[in-house]
Amino acid sequence: MVFVTQGADVALVSLQGVGKTFSGRTGAWEAVRDFSLDLAEGEFFCLLGTSGCGKTTVLNMVAGFEAATAGSILLDGAPVQGPGADRGVVFQGHDSLYEWLTALDNIGFGLRLRGLGRAERREKAEHFLRMVGLTGQGAKHPSELSGGMKQRIQIARALANDPRMLLMDEPFGALDAMTRAVLQGELSRIWAETKKTVLFITHDIEEACALATRVGVMRRGPGGTLKAIVPVDLPFPRERTSDDFMRVFRDVHALIHDEIHGAH
Amino acid sequence: MPLFMMRFTVRTDRWATIGGYITGFALLFLVWHLAATYLVKSTLFPPPGPVLARGWMLIEDGILQEQIIASLKRIAQGFLLGSAIGIPIGLAIGSFKPVRWLLEPWTEFFRFIPAVAMITVSVIWFGIGEESKVFLIAYTTIFVVIISTAAGVGAVGRDKIRAAQCLGANRWQVFGLVALPATVPYILTGMRLAMSNAFVTIVAAELIASNDGLGKMLWDARLFMQIEDIFVALVALGLLGFATDRSFRFLIRAFAGRFNATV
Ligand SMILES: Nc1ncnc2c1ncn2[C@@H]1O[C@H](COP(=O)(O)OP(=O)(O)OP(=O)(O)O)[C@@H](O)[C@H]1O
Ligand SMILES: [Mg+2]
Repeated sequence: MVFVTQGADVALVSLQGVGKTFSGRTGAWEAVRDFSLDLAEGEFFCLLGTSGCGKTTVLNMVAGFEAATAGSILLDGAPVQGPGADRGVVFQGHDSLYEWLTALDNIGFGLRLRGLGRAERREKAEHFLRMVGLTGQGAKHPSELSGGMKQRIQIARALANDPRMLLMDEPFGALDAMTRAVLQGELSRIWAETKKTVLFITHDIEEACALATRVGVMRRGPGGTLKAIVPVDLPFPRERTSDDFMRVFRDVHALIHDEIHGAH
Repeated sequence: MPLFMMRFTVRTDRWATIGGYITGFALLFLVWHLAATYLVKSTLFPPPGPVLARGWMLIEDGILQEQIIASLKRIAQGFLLGSAIGIPIGLAIGSFKPVRWLLEPWTEFFRFIPAVAMITVSVIWFGIGEESKVFLIAYTTIFVVIISTAAGVGAVGRDKIRAAQCLGANRWQVFGLVALPATVPYILTGMRLAMSNAFVTIVAAELIASNDGLGKMLWDARLFMQIEDIFVALVALGLLGFATDRSFRFLIRAFAGRFNATV
């Protein structure tokens, strides 16, 4: 897999010394400290870390849901002010789908916000419904869809809005192993088709190695931060039983292993 | 499961429900009959036979319908008025903190003053005409609807709102396209609760101050010791309440079944 990045200074997203301290009744909690990362246009970056190390906190700051308490986050060189249509988010649970809308109308929700006509919306939504492999299921409501189907709808909804990048917070975390493997394959294919920049959060080493062009391993909190970045220069689709894959897996595993069994 | 079988199950379900209701009511009347004829044996507790006969007579004379329509009209007017006022206030309380701070003392204050306690005031203000009854029903409806609507707005999932924001929604779009539809089941549930309160209130109000209605019928029957008339009014109330609540639940299912399977 070859990557064309036009110089290091054209990062799509740039986190510089980002920190986040929550202050609550129990006092201040520094969830993230001095987190720096540049994401190039078109790359698939997996953020990997143990539970509670601050992955979601980082994603929420990039999405603009929460403000950083230190450092800065730049999108195309401009500071992130709040959520926006340039960053599509796929949430961990499926509570984010709208139960009162059909699958198709969920996918077309962003287009509706932008005032697109009914016919055009429908046509585009159908396109993305096909892309996530749910052709013919557009009339169903979320309550009539399985967990895996709901995550597909979430992905289609984010893509239909044509964002600059996708932010995905453990989107397959709640799925069974087989469904997860299938969806990983489809996501890989969709990423290759659409060339979106992806920031993908997971605590599954294999998932990270199968999807990413780079894997970032986080050090656990308090003060969670980026510990190391492992480039994954393997072609797609990835052969999970190949020696090369195993080698990458072992590298990442060693980094994570220290986190799990390190000082605690 | 094949589609035809699913439809079959739905249909048998419906028949089972209807059959269950009919059996349940038959049983109720049977127990009543047994209790009245073998246990109590008093003229003050007539068995269902004479009561139903008396009810039929009142229907033939057109008297019972008149009372029922009078009561239902008041309930409908007050209920619609109360909902029309309560829903927007509930939405505002749920959406804007300052509105909540300002109005919560009101709702928390008035919801502990039952409509029954307001009867005297309302008669003094509005007389014994329609206005006092409509006012009381509206009063009893408003606070229940406000509280459940506001709770519904507060319960809209955070991710639903965030999803809309990162799809490009502004404040008003978040409100109109996410918060409002997500709150509909709560609004309907509040209205259903308010409806049962309305039945309590209308009888009390008509007992005390009215020229017609089921409450008035109860009062007159007591004055003239027409024991069967009392029971006719009670049975009518029970059946009406039952029918209204079922229709409401049917409406909720029809409009909001896919929102929330538990409604
Ligand atoms: N709103 C908040 N207030 C206070 N502390 C918080 C808040 N959100 C997160 N934290 C804390 O910040 C730390 C990081 O949380 P975060 O949700 O980012 O973890 P995570 O890496 O996403 O974990 P998981 O894999 O379990 O989802 C945790 O210790 C958590 O307790
Ligand atoms: Mg998380």
